[in-house]
Amino acid sequence: MRVVVADDAVILREGLARLLREAGFEVAGLAADGSELLEQVERASPDVAIVDIRMPPTHTDEGLQAAKAIRQRRPGTGILVLSQHVHARYAVELLSEGTDGVGYLLKERVSDLAELASSVRRVGEGGSVLDPAVVSQLVSRRRPGGDPLGQLTDRERDVLALMAEGRSNKAIAERLFVTEHTVEKHVKNIFATLRLPPSPDDHRRVLAVVTYLNAQ
Amino acid sequence: MRRDMSARLITLGVLGFLAGAGAFWITRTAVFHRPQIPDAPVALLVGWSFIGSGLLSWRAQPDNRLGPVMVLTGFAWYASVIQEGRSTVLFTIGLAFQVLYLAGFLYVILSFPSGRLQTALDRALVIAAFGLVTIGQLAWMIFADTRAVICDSDGCLPNLLEVHRDDTLAHGLLQFQRIAGLVVIAASIGLLAVRLVRASRPQRHAVIPVLLAGCVALTALAASVVSDVLGNAERDLFGRVAGYAFVVVPVAVLIAFLQRQLARGAVAGLVVELGEPSAAVGLADALSRALGDPSLSLGYWFPAESRYVDSDGRPVALPGPGEDRRCTVVERGGQPVAVLIHDPALEHNAELVDSVCAAAGLTLENERLQAELRARLAELQASRARLVEATEAERRRIERNLHDGTQQRLVSIAMSLGLLESKLPGGPGQAGPIVRETRAALAAALDELRELTQGIHPTILAERGLPVALDELCHRAALPTHLQLDLACRLPDQVESAAYFVVSEALTNAAKHSHGSEVRVRAACAGGLLTIEVADDGIGGAATGIGTGLRGLTDRVEALGGTLTVSSPPGRGTTLRAEFPCG
Repeated sequence: MRVVVADDAVILREGLARLLREAGFEVAGLAADGSELLEQVERASPDVAIVDIRMPPTHTDEGLQAAKAIRQRRPGTGILVLSQHVHARYAVELLSEGTDGVGYLLKERVSDLAELASSVRRVGEGGSVLDPAVVSQLVSRRRPGGDPLGQLTDRERDVLALMAEGRSNKAIAERLFVTEHTVEKHVKNIFATLRLPPSPDDHRRVLAVVTYLNAQ
Repeated sequence: MRRDMSARLITLGVLGFLAGAGAFWITRTAVFHRPQIPDAPVALLVGWSFIGSGLLSWRAQPDNRLGPVMVLTGFAWYASVIQEGRSTVLFTIGLAFQVLYLAGFLYVILSFPSGRLQTALDRALVIAAFGLVTIGQLAWMIFADTRAVICDSDGCLPNLLEVHRDDTLAHGLLQFQRIAGLVVIAASIGLLAVRLVRASRPQRHAVIPVLLAGCVALTALAASVVSDVLGNAERDLFGRVAGYAFVVVPVAVLIAFLQRQLARGAVAGLVVELGEPSAAVGLADALSRALGDPSLSLGYWFPAESRYVDSDGRPVALPGPGEDRRCTVVERGGQPVAVLIHDPALEHNAELVDSVCAAAGLTLENERLQAELRARLAELQASRARLVEATEAERRRIERNLHDGTQQRLVSIAMSLGLLESKLPGGPGQAGPIVRETRAALAAALDELRELTQGIHPTILAERGLPVALDELCHRAALPTHLQLDLACRLPDQVESAAYFVVSEALTNAAKHSHGSEVRVRAACAGGLLTIEVADDGIGGAATGIGTGLRGLTDRVEALGGTLTVSSPPGRGTTLRAEFPCG
């Protein structure tokens, strides 16, 4: 799988490239800012672009803007945005552009090589990845009035969080040490309780769940 | 005191009236007429004019010598008239005082308007004139046989002072008296002409009538004397002109004095006005009214910066050398209090300006202190704002440094650890758990660092603005929070930042202390005012100034010219309200 890495800090850019090579990815290009990233994507046509959210010249959400530009020019390219801050809003913004092949992770997740590789792969395959910290923020959000999430069991809430992270039923089952069938049952319950239309597709349901969590 | 003064003036007035009446009678019945006095009515008017105007001037300005001098001149005038009486004694007395009034007249026009002879030349001229009309006249009378000179149809009256008849000497003395008199008159006319030319606009308005009438009188007098010497027939004409001018001078002096009294009335009005409770509001207006200068402006001395400031504490620029404005500094106890910036015309009415400044002195000092206070407050406010700005910049710098430095290094260490972990041999290696522990500790450190940097300078505020930042803040709050936003206007960065921290601190406090179930946050911008309100439904009763966090916030809000209030009635929740000006 071909990737392009964009980060204005050399130490992180190179480190990330090394990690990814180690994990078996082909690093097809490196970029220090948004415009360089766009050039690299045009040139190398990678499967996934891994983008630091804060880059020159504005040092704000350059990476996010670049990601949006890539989605418009090269819709097939997966995009994994790395951030040092937990901004659920940015994650939701990114997902709302289309959940196919997008991810939002805290930068420090790169320390778990296996998890990083799995995330990059999921994004490259058109799946979506949402950082657990962001999901946890969304799930634990205090909602004025009766909180529908309060009607879920603890286990259902765990499943909901893992769904929001973009994991498949199979992955959730492995994580929770239950059968896939049990997970399916939980998912059905959750959708019914939250009055969400059933959505069998692992990818599509992320947006439904995240939008629901964000809107409340 | 005043009563004595009035009694004296009334007595003198009555005497003057009687003297005039007597002189009139003498002149009407006299057959012989002195050349200078054309007819009885004019003779009467000159005396009354001097005595009447002198008395009124005396009353208007008791400290000015002009009043008494004019009264004396009037009496001297009548004294000269009695020589026309048909009695040797009256003739002699009248002759002795014949020209005394001229010395008085000269004093009046040369010392006008102050009543004091300002220059040595003034004094010399008046002394010379006085000598000529007293000593000169008496010396002439000692040697002159007036019977030979002045006769009428009833015969010649003898001069009782005649000691030894010496026609040549008498003639010589008379000629000397005339020529010296002409010199004095010419010098005086010259002096008056210079004063007329030099008088500035407003001064001219007051002095022209007096100086002009004085010049005319002196010129006519000189012409009359010259005609007399040359034996021309025009001397009567000149004498008449001089007589009319003599009538005008005292009246002109009186009018000038009354005008001054009007100005003093303005000062009195100012004193009354300053006594009003709201005086300070329009001090500059009151002064400009009293001085009759609508363009007048005021500056108060601000010793800390050695410059003048206006009533709001803003610096006042003094007019430069090229500008058509003048400054008058008001001092108290040797220290400058204020400066009046006014029209140059006022410079010549120094007396009025001085009176006005004296009247307004205390109020000016008071206003100066207030202006100084305002200037200091403005300075303090500015320095506070600078401090907040500097703090803000410092916070941004620290956040950037942490992000670009420490955080990235920690992340890069995390990467290396990840790499290291992947290189560890599979199986139950001993290093695996240690590496995982280290990774977990590193993750915790990064978490804490993230919290810290967000507390120092929330990136989302800079990136997305206040509405989004508040939304994010409310979503993360520990208590369920409603957010109502009405922020159409652009806000300055510092205001946004302060508003953000107000909400953040209020939400934290609500979660910690309120025991409430919900919080309502409202942010609205209308009419140049940003209002932030955070209200919980908790137990209330919070002490205002709960913690240092709130104290710091208050400082921050006030530095931006805003206010922060906490209302927390027991049992009815706590409401924190901040208001910022936002142009």
